[in-house]
Amino acid sequence: MRSLVVYDTLCYPTPEKFLEFMMGSVKQGANALEVGIPPRYAKYDGPVIRRSYRAVSKFSSNAWEVLGELGREVDVDLIALTYLEDWLGNFNELVSKLKGSGVKGLLFPDLVIDFPFDVEKIAEKVRNAGLRNVIFVTPTVPDSFIKRVSKLADLFLYYGIRPTTGVPIPVSVDALLGRVRSLVESKLIVGFGLSNLEDVRKAIKAGADGIAVGTSLIEEMERSGIEGALRLVSNLREIVDGA
Amino acid sequence: MVDDILPKYWYNIIPDLPEPLPPPRDPPDAEFSRIDLLRQLIPREVLRQQFTVERLVKIPEEVLDRYVTIGRPTPLMRASKLEERLGTPARIYFKYEGATPTGSHKINTAIPQAHFAREEGIEHVTTETGAGQWGTAVSLAASLYSMSSTIFMVRVSYEHKPMRRVIMQLYGGEVYPSPSDLTDYGKRIKSEDSTHPGSLGIAMSEALEYALKRNYRYMIGSVLDVVILHQSVIGMETMKQLETLGEEADVLVGCVGGGSNFGGLVYPFIGSKKGKRYVAAASSEVPKFSRGEYKYDFPDSAGLLPLVKMISLGKDYVPPPIYSGGLRYHGVAPSLSLLMKNGVIEGVEYGEGEVFKAAKLFMETQGIVPAPESAHAIAAVIDEALAAKARKEKKVIVFNLSGHGLLDLTNYESMMRRWKDEKSSGL
Repeated sequence: MRSLVVYDTLCYPTPEKFLEFMMGSVKQGANALEVGIPPRYAKYDGPVIRRSYRAVSKFSSNAWEVLGELGREVDVDLIALTYLEDWLGNFNELVSKLKGSGVKGLLFPDLVIDFPFDVEKIAEKVRNAGLRNVIFVTPTVPDSFIKRVSKLADLFLYYGIRPTTGVPIPVSVDALLGRVRSLVESKLIVGFGLSNLEDVRKAIKAGADGIAVGTSLIEEMERSGIEGALRLVSNLREIVDGA
Repeated sequence: MVDDILPKYWYNIIPDLPEPLPPPRDPPDAEFSRIDLLRQLIPREVLRQQFTVERLVKIPEEVLDRYVTIGRPTPLMRASKLEERLGTPARIYFKYEGATPTGSHKINTAIPQAHFAREEGIEHVTTETGAGQWGTAVSLAASLYSMSSTIFMVRVSYEHKPMRRVIMQLYGGEVYPSPSDLTDYGKRIKSEDSTHPGSLGIAMSEALEYALKRNYRYMIGSVLDVVILHQSVIGMETMKQLETLGEEADVLVGCVGGGSNFGGLVYPFIGSKKGKRYVAAASSEVPKFSRGEYKYDFPDSAGLLPLVKMISLGKDYVPPPIYSGGLRYHGVAPSLSLLMKNGVIEGVEYGEGEVFKAAKLFMETQGIVPAPESAHAIAAVIDEALAAKARKEKKVIVFNLSGHGLLDLTNYESMMRRWKDEKSSGL
């Protein structure tokens, strides 16, 4: 079965609605949940996700508890997305907080790009801490690197097809997928700027093992509330299964 | 023969880089997304090529047709008289991009960018130009596709190179000195300093603002990977031409402004693991190799484009009004910066005196007046050839003679006066 990974920023739009949305997504067929922890500099996130980070700053005092509650309530893989840059000095604090919250996987969007020669070392630290790696690569990562780091992906290799989330820069999804699919055998999840349903269909047809969606869901949440966003999750599930 | 040498594909080096290329970014406190803004500035297909990283990209038939119109493939020539004068056992070849009607390599990307703009129904394009080569290329490319063009020319070049302006106008471009009164950014710079000489970064900001406000499209002359992708036609042709001659390049040399003529020649060689060394030559008056920092910086002074990680002297750097305007840019293309940081490409810098001496020797021996920018490459080639002589090495040196200097005669005249004691034959 192909995977649908649903993203939301931790506590967005409010802690209660975040939980309602994430738990609802599992009911609508999400195979994994990806939770964004607001960074100091969201360098690879687009305007929508950046806005959500700003919006949740007021909930930061009990954010970890909210994550813990989600961890207790769902039985799918819970993946934290956070920038390595923010945790270089307190890596142990991060992993203990995540483990305490029931998080299974860890994704650093800046790992391969900003710390290309430390990927093995960091991936090892993540494993030693009892968490599993999701490795994030982009089209600007050279073939030799994609091959190498794909072997470190425990849960899946996350392929971000656009330079930033949620900005519909024109790209050829099939050409991009064709390149990475020929390089790796790992489970390949595509996201980071899948901007419309057509993109999703193309990604699946071109060999993706699943998709990750965030910006579109947050936009839908802003337009038509949690219910609307959950309807979109359900639509995405159908497309992923039927594409 | 043309069919054999003119490639069907452009080459993109990104999949073959030694480490991941840091992607463009929006600044931390961004009120708007500059990455998103690109969609309003750059033709859709150009953006698609920039962000769809594929090793080989098919060149559209219409573009190939216009490449033939402007005289591609350009000749690969042997500088045998220069070799003789230097007494070097090295064999020196140069790819002569000055043989195109606009006199430089710039037309190689102006044509596809104009093609893609026209394809989506755009009727007017804008750009900036320093020395004038890029503006000339855009003026012609726009006309080849029946579009209008507006060119912001760095004021100091506008004043010193009136013939460049005339050529752009003959090709159909409207040319304005930058900073100008046509944009808010230009007006602001002028209000701070009414005699501001301008810079490529400022002219670029003006061209971007002008395009944005009128729904025109902006043509990008260097720095972005897609430009070097188009310029790879130079290196792809050169590889085939060397093969025909039964030669293999040992050292490849080019000058660097933003990096597109250098990358255009050299990247296909790096990608196919041909050539042993790659030497990039810049101006010591704009010392980006020796003083530049590898950091995220804006490609334009106003900060309308996304941040890119590159070797840079800083977006607000105002270069001295040197003779080779094309090398005045504050940054180096991200992929080239990364390859230099990794030691794959060596950087050298030459001052005006050395460059003039090299240009003069090349004129006397080969008869071609090189663009002063390209003469930086010649200076590096001469050093390589003399080193080969000292070591009795029969190596093959290939360089990009990226443009001719027939429109730089005022500059050469001034250099002749200032460097009259420099005897080229003293080498």
